[in-house]
Amino acid sequence: MKKKLYLGLLLIAFIFQTSFLRVEASQINYKSAEFKAVAEQFACTCGCGQDHYECDPNTCNLTKAFKKDLVGMMNKGWDKDKIRQYYVNIYGEEILTSPEKSGFSLTAWVLPFVVIGLAAIAVFIIIRKWVKQKGSEAVMTDCESTEDEVEGEILSSMIDEERKKYL
Amino acid sequence: MYLFANATIYIGLAIAVYSLLIITLGISTKNQKFVNSGKSGMIALFICAAMAMIAMFYLLATSQFQYEYVTDYTSSELPIIYKLTALWAGNAGSLLLWTFFLTLYMIMIAYSRKMKGNPMVPYISAILLANAVFFFFILGFVAKPFNILDTVPTEGKGLNPMLQNPGMIIHPVTLYLGYVGLAVPFAFAMAALLMKNVDDFWIKMTRRWTIVAWLFLSLGNIFGGQWAYVELGWGGYWAWDAVENASFMPWLTATAFLHSVMIQERKNMLKIWNISLIIVSYALTLFGTFLVRSGVLTSVHAFANSNLGLYFLIFMGVAVILALYVLMSRYNLLKRSAGEFNSIVSKESSFLVNNLLLVGAAFATFWGTVFPLVSEAVRGTKVTVGMPFFNKVEAPILLSMMFVMAVCPLLAWQKSTVKNLRKNFMIPAILAVIGMALMVILGIQKAWAVIGYGVIILLLVTHFLEFYRGVKARRKMTKESPFVALYRLMVRNRRRYGGYIVHLGIAFITMGIIGSQNYDVETMKTVPLGQSIELRDYRINYDRLDQKKEGINDIVYADVTVFKNGKKLGTFQPEKVFYGNWEQPSSEVAIISSLKEDLYIVLSAWEDNGKATFVVKVNPMMDWLWIGSFMIVIGALFAVWNGKYGNVTPRYTGVRKEVS
Repeated sequence: MKKKLYLGLLLIAFIFQTSFLRVEASQINYKSAEFKAVAEQFACTCGCGQDHYECDPNTCNLTKAFKKDLVGMMNKGWDKDKIRQYYVNIYGEEILTSPEKSGFSLTAWVLPFVVIGLAAIAVFIIIRKWVKQKGSEAVMTDCESTEDEVEGEILSSMIDEERKKYL
Repeated sequence: MYLFANATIYIGLAIAVYSLLIITLGISTKNQKFVNSGKSGMIALFICAAMAMIAMFYLLATSQFQYEYVTDYTSSELPIIYKLTALWAGNAGSLLLWTFFLTLYMIMIAYSRKMKGNPMVPYISAILLANAVFFFFILGFVAKPFNILDTVPTEGKGLNPMLQNPGMIIHPVTLYLGYVGLAVPFAFAMAALLMKNVDDFWIKMTRRWTIVAWLFLSLGNIFGGQWAYVELGWGGYWAWDAVENASFMPWLTATAFLHSVMIQERKNMLKIWNISLIIVSYALTLFGTFLVRSGVLTSVHAFANSNLGLYFLIFMGVAVILALYVLMSRYNLLKRSAGEFNSIVSKESSFLVNNLLLVGAAFATFWGTVFPLVSEAVRGTKVTVGMPFFNKVEAPILLSMMFVMAVCPLLAWQKSTVKNLRKNFMIPAILAVIGMALMVILGIQKAWAVIGYGVIILLLVTHFLEFYRGVKARRKMTKESPFVALYRLMVRNRRRYGGYIVHLGIAFITMGIIGSQNYDVETMKTVPLGQSIELRDYRINYDRLDQKKEGINDIVYADVTVFKNGKKLGTFQPEKVFYGNWEQPSSEVAIISSLKEDLYIVLSAWEDNGKATFVVKVNPMMDWLWIGSFMIVIGALFAVWNGKYGNVTPRYTGVRKEVS
């Protein structure tokens, strides 16, 4: 009797579970944020150049089936990383819209910043060198500086006068 | 007609070869007669290209389907405007357009008033003529525009409906004007190197032409984005597609050049770097063409696969090698006049950082674009490098760029002291921080948005201060009214204030990008007739579904009434168009724009019982993108406009007597 009861309960739970899943399945909107997070990882191969989130299921049969599969997996409780791994195992890295952040593909992500970083160091060193060059010349011309200042003042007042004429 | 049309190409090729040889001979023997003959040849070349264009327009307009190109890209029922614009829908036609622009630029330079008597002209002409020889060769032997078919079809294949949009009329034209335009600064640079004369005149002219090319390149990209937004029905405007990247890269390097050349102008430094930037920009335009026409990368823009790309790759290789050879051979000459910097913190340094970031962004774009090829070559695995990659990698680089742009105007030339920095930056920095705090309080809490908008506030304030201080200083001396002072200040410093207007335009575009990328919402719903869809403050009532016929196309449309916060905004008609001669239908979206946001409605599908599926999107701040784009155009035109007080180009005062 008890066994029957358990079986009955299990059956009810099973039925309830499927109906619950069905409700959830119909609730997943192809334009929802949760679906976007999963679908935008995968590139559509119909030639549209879009991912499976953007590609229109009403004009592309490929993405129609793909989207259905994704919803199925999401209903099974798979998270986006598990779904990602599943497809990478089948189709390889090409199915993804951006390269993996591991192995050789990591260079795609890292190299631009490494290059900019190295170039930044180079730029800094170059500027410092140019500033230093100027600095050493400044020491040499230091003694002439007072005379220069007076001359500079006269010059700038002359420039000011000229400027007023042209404004 | 067949004979005439083909004659324009082959005679053009012969003239191009002749002109190139005779001008080169003229330069080497210093014989003015030969040079003049070459220059006249350039007019003949322009006439050939123009005649070829007219011939092609005529064939397209009159639907002469015996011509392969006319059959491939038009059909008899196509509206006349799209019959004509089909000229740049295919490989051969677009190259013809390219060639036409090249010859147009060529005579504009050779016969310009400013260049009269300038010994650079023969050199520039020769370099552009070498380009023309290549293009006429391609038109004559590889991508022939006037091929004739064995059997005459009764109807053409029609033009891809996606290309039947006003945006597509102008997008390729502006883009090609930009692409070809970059050949001009390249020719100027090479001419200057060959003549061992990189002086003020060279800088002014090269900068001017680079701004022109840059403006067209910007316009090309903007029109492309606008077209994608209204025509493709996905609500986006930039997809980091390989071909988009191909036009973005030279834009970045040309922008870098426009800034770093100021250091050359002021301090006579960075000559090698500037010429390298010009060479790279020019090479990138050819590289882009190689990408589009070779089929090595998957792209929505790709033309039919052909070996054409290979020719471009070879031409690019030859051009770059020759250019680098010339650059190296003049290395000592360019290096000799190098100057120095006064301080680590100065406007000069900020320009170098600006260059680093712009060229860095160009490299990141290049690397992402070619990485699928690299990956396949290195480990045999294909990868896709799409939008998420570029968004993540470019965002920090371009945002840093915005920061430099915000800071740069207030840094002093020569040297910025701590006192000077404090005085200039205290107010903008405080305002930016207050703005960021307000954003967080008001609910804008995404990190990228807060940082991005904070930087934009800083930029707007620093630029406002630049205008304010300029006006104030002017008024102090002239006692003019503020508006007169502002007007005169700007027209007397066209380049500087034109540049600032461009900066403000870029800031507005960035505002639009940040808003639309971070705060867009979207839904897709199937509703029965009479029901409505709600999204944010909007309610979209689905009133009617019907169909109509336009020519050979069937159009299914829905009438929807849109309400915002209960207030009626009007009735709109998103459509789905089924073409008589094209398999794929396309969506005509309904867009309701305001400064705050766009409501974007796509009719996606319908059922027999009248139920229809709509994709509805709210894209915040899209109008700012278009306003910013408009400001870029205004700013660039303002900068190059040669007004009464414009920057007068110095007459050439070379030391050597040369042919001109």
